Amino acid sequence: MFLALKEIRRAKIRFALLMGSIGLLVFLILFQQTLQNGLITSFVGAIRNQSAPVLVYSVDGRVNLQGSVITPDLASQIAAVDGVAASGQLGQGTFSAQAGGSTETVGILGYDTEGLGSPDSMVGGRLPTADGEAVALASAAGDGFDIGDTVTIEPGGYEITVVGLAEQIGFQATTTMFTTYPTFEQATTSANPDATSAPPAVITLRPESGVSAAELVSRVNDAVPEADAYTRADAAAETPGVAQVQQSFNIIFLLYGLVIPLVTGLFFLIITLQKAGSLTLLRAIGVPGSRLVRSLIAQVVVVLAVGIAIGIALYTPLSRQQLGGIPLSFQTGAVVFWSVLLMVLGVFSSLFAARRVLAIDPIEATTGAGVGR
Amino acid sequence: MKLALRELRRQPGRFVTATVILTLIASLLMLLGGLLDGLLSGATSAVLAQKGELVVYSSTAEDSFQRSRITTDTSATIAAVDGVSDVGGIGVVQLGARVPGNDDRDLLDVVLFGYELPPEGVAAAPPTGQAYADATLEAQGVEKGMTLLLGQARTPVEVIGFVDGLQYSGQGTLWADATTWRGALNANRPGAGVGDGVFQSLVVELDPGTDPAAAASAIDAATDDSTSTLTVVDAANAIGGVEQQRSTFNQIIGVTVIIAIVVVGLFFALLTVERTAMYGVLKAVGARSRTLFGGVVLQAVIVTLIASFIGGSLALALDLAVPPGSIPFTLTPARLITSVVLLLLAAVIGCAFSLRRVLRIDPATAIGSGT
Repeated sequence: MFLALKEIRRAKIRFALLMGSIGLLVFLILFQQTLQNGLITSFVGAIRNQSAPVLVYSVDGRVNLQGSVITPDLASQIAAVDGVAASGQLGQGTFSAQAGGSTETVGILGYDTEGLGSPDSMVGGRLPTADGEAVALASAAGDGFDIGDTVTIEPGGYEITVVGLAEQIGFQATTTMFTTYPTFEQATTSANPDATSAPPAVITLRPESGVSAAELVSRVNDAVPEADAYTRADAAAETPGVAQVQQSFNIIFLLYGLVIPLVTGLFFLIITLQKAGSLTLLRAIGVPGSRLVRSLIAQVVVVLAVGIAIGIALYTPLSRQQLGGIPLSFQTGAVVFWSVLLMVLGVFSSLFAARRVLAIDPIEATTGAGVGR
Repeated sequence: MKLALRELRRQPGRFVTATVILTLIASLLMLLGGLLDGLLSGATSAVLAQKGELVVYSSTAEDSFQRSRITTDTSATIAAVDGVSDVGGIGVVQLGARVPGNDDRDLLDVVLFGYELPPEGVAAAPPTGQAYADATLEAQGVEKGMTLLLGQARTPVEVIGFVDGLQYSGQGTLWADATTWRGALNANRPGAGVGDGVFQSLVVELDPGTDPAAAASAIDAATDDSTSTLTVVDAANAIGGVEQQRSTFNQIIGVTVIIAIVVVGLFFALLTVERTAMYGVLKAVGARSRTLFGGVVLQAVIVTLIASFIGGSLALALDLAVPPGSIPFTLTPARLITSVVLLLLAAVIGCAFSLRRVLRIDPATAIGSGT
């Protein structure tokens, strides 16, 4: 062990280069994991953080709030399904709006029943109690969406006052506001006088006591052919685009997860080859192979630990920022998962070098051959 | 240089590891680039195929088709602007389509375009109730002569032929006349409906030699800034998510290039350390540092080219294997060349870390230690 640490001290640049490389790769993985989570939250946070346990789209909506339209007849059929304790309606529209002195794209969700589509991640203020009031995305407070600010829908000039803030309620990566259903209707007709109505995009349901959300989903889908019901979590996961984002990132994670153990393993293999003469000599004077392997693994663990620590240190300040309007957050689970995985893979990759060490024949100290042969 | 090439030939095993890792990185780079190009093409090709030079939105629409409304009066005003040769309305609605023979819940995502000026590869607007379909829909089971039922209102649209490479927001498109589009929009999206004669946007063709930027300004001035006029390329970039996708993927590609620099730097720095004694001997017999470093760079370039070739072959194989309408992956020659150039650049920069070591080698010391 002493020899292993001493070697690191003596060859600072070589080991620092590897530690820095691993640190950079770990930082990239963690950053991208956070970016992925931030991106998905900004796409479907509004679905995840609304209060209804079951959402029912029209089949034609393709699990998309922007594409689903619920007719009054369909709404009645859904509400009549056995096991429904309460139902509400949730409408969605995307608007241009004046806020904070500039024109912004704003997603508005209108609900008619508190507890069935209202935001449940409030961090300030209150829920709307009158028409023309809304709860806005907390991370957009500085852009003219703070409590007391007025947001003006364009064209039409309909004004909505922000009375509350909720976190992680983004939808389709736009600044999002939750409001009463009449406010949503007025915003729709204000922006588009040709609009004949503002029908709900989904029916929100609460199951009766003793009926689970998943069970109610099955009952609705069985009873109403035109309905497409999902639990809250499934509705978020099945929203178009979410799975594709996750798949794209997973491919990238897989490749990065391969590069780190490869770099680590090859680095120590080359180092072992370079030290061939010294290692053979050590074996010749009686040092057991297991001790040399332990020394090697100790170096790998130190290098990986420092590299991972560098990566986390680089990641921590960045994880508290916003990137292109996407609020990021420190992902403790991702840090633990990747640290453990990369440590295990890194140590595993050093087994190739360990195999070389164990293959050393001490007699070759007298012939000049070593592990390199 | 000859020595560097001979070492590559005689001891290829020494370079296998670096080649494998660089191949992974090359594959990653080309995969990311192909995904980006595929996503962008899937999101924008329907707009980029417009024959006109400009797209006009209402000024409050934030350059979004869905939120824009252009009346017949505005259209007439724009048609009278100097340099404008033709104006045609265009509208979009994204709907679920029921395909004959499919399960009731097995719908296709389609985008119905209503148009007046046909884009590249599309004939003049067909009779009401009929449409041309993008070939990606054919790959998903749509056939010529089929009648698709669009949206909740089951608006019927008969497919009378197929067109290539016209996707929007990652979905296959249908191209119909304005009446078909307006009928489908008003029946299925009552909150987003439009009145008679109203379009969401206009495609504007210019007289030959007219400057598009100047014409765009003239159009907005003629409508008292009630419009926002963009070039077709800018209109494509304004589609939701396009810029975000591009910047995210470009950041990841940039980072991957940095990783390539680190990997090349690491390997050739270590190889240089390994060869210190040999370089010492070579320097002692008159070899210049420039020549030795040139050899290192040559080896890195060859290793990178081999890795790029393998990575490119894998990416090409993926491109051929991916069926239309599945993974949005498009590999272009420009993307392949850019990726190889980036990797070569990374290889040369990575090698530069070895330059200091090569310059520092003292022939006398090296010979002493080597012996």
